[in-house]
This record gives sequence, C-alpha cells and structure tokens, in this order.
Amino acid sequence: MSEKKIKNIFVDGPIEPAFIANSIARHNSKTAIGGHSIFMGQVRKDEIDGKCVAAIAYTAYEDLALEKMHQIREEIFEKYPLHCMHIYHSLGTVKTGEICLFVFTSSAHRKPAIAACSEVVDRLKAELPIWGKEIFEDETHQWKENI
Amino acid sequence: MKIEMISFGKIAEFISNQKIEVDGIADTDAFKQYLEDRFPALKGIKYKLALNKNIVQQNTEITNQATIAIMPPFSGG
Repeated sequence: MSEKKIKNIFVDGPIEPAFIANSIARHNSKTAIGGHSIFMGQVRKDEIDGKCVAAIAYTAYEDLALEKMHQIREEIFEKYPLHCMHIYHSLGTVKTGEICLFVFTSSAHRKPAIAACSEVVDRLKAELPIWGKEIFEDETHQWKENI
Repeated sequence: MKIEMISFGKIAEFISNQKIEVDGIADTDAFKQYLEDRFPALKGIKYKLALNKNIVQQNTEITNQATIAIMPPFSGG
C-alpha cells in the first residue's frame, strides 16, 4: 500500500449542493481534464407498509471505512487513467431529498471517468462498513440493507 | 483474556460496546459461538466480524487485548 495519507470522506449531515458546485469549480485550473463524472446519492422517500421514510441516519466504523476506502481509491487509480477522484459520504441525519453521497471522478477523456465513478459507487456500497437507519415520519425506524 | 467488543447498526441495539474477560476463546469461530450463546438474537442475523480492524474472512486466532467489531450487512450510499 502506498504511503499516501488516508483521506477523510465523512461529512456531518447532508452534502450541500453549494459544496458540490464549489468542488466542480475548483477544477477550472486543471486543464488536462476533458471529462468529469459525478454520482450523487439522494435519500429517497420510500413507502414501507404505509409509512414514509423521513430521513436516514448514517453511522460507520470510521477507521475501518477510511482504510477500506483508501484501498479502493488506490486500486481505482491503478486501473483507470484518472486525474482526480473525490468521495464524500454523510454521517448523521440526512432528510429525504438531501444528498448523502457524492462521487466525482475526472479524466482526460470521458470513459475512464464514467467507469471509475460507477465502480467506486458499487464498491463503496458493498465494502464500506456504513449503516443507514431509515427513520419514518412517525419516528419508528428500520435498518436499510443494500441489495 | 481481555476482548473489547464494539457493535454497529441494528446489532448495536442489543449488544452494547463492552470489554469482556473470558477464557477458552482461542479464535473467531469460538467467539461467534460465545456471542450467539450470550445474545441469541444474533442467530437470525447475517453479520461479519472485524478483528483489530481487519474483516474476518476465515477462522482467525484471537490474542489478548483484541478489539472485535460485530457488523451487520453494510448499507452505505
């Protein structure tokens, strides 16, 4: 494993659209980039047994999640010719309609950025020790499971 | 032997973080047996262990002062 510093990916609460806009804007000076791919996860108002989801509360085994994310990041950089990759995931409460995940990859041409973005999202959902608790409008809850 | 247990997600609702002093638990298979005897609710749930921040893929020896995380299926993103 490389000696690169392990980056934090966790954001307290929802990921604000302005934060995403700023993140895009900061790439103005990186003129070798020709394509960006962005994935945003949004909390969906699922209806389960007549009750609607109001929010998801996220918790994580943070140390392990960050180590695992670092490993995934290294593997993705090995596999695809990317200029950069940014990943943010919420912790704590995120209401329906708000953004809980932001993955942003950039490359000279579009295809590696698109493939890497998709692969990061798949791997992150399967491999990072993060848990979402769906909180209903009546304040009962159930634990989400990724399928 | 001292083991620190930490649990997450729905498992944290019935197993609190705690330090235990136990003898005769040599490996992660024995630890699972111990857990399921002590917390029968765990038997019906899929879960994984992480021993000292490494996800347990196969039966692994446990040494003194280990930290073991008990983790239900992940649901990030």
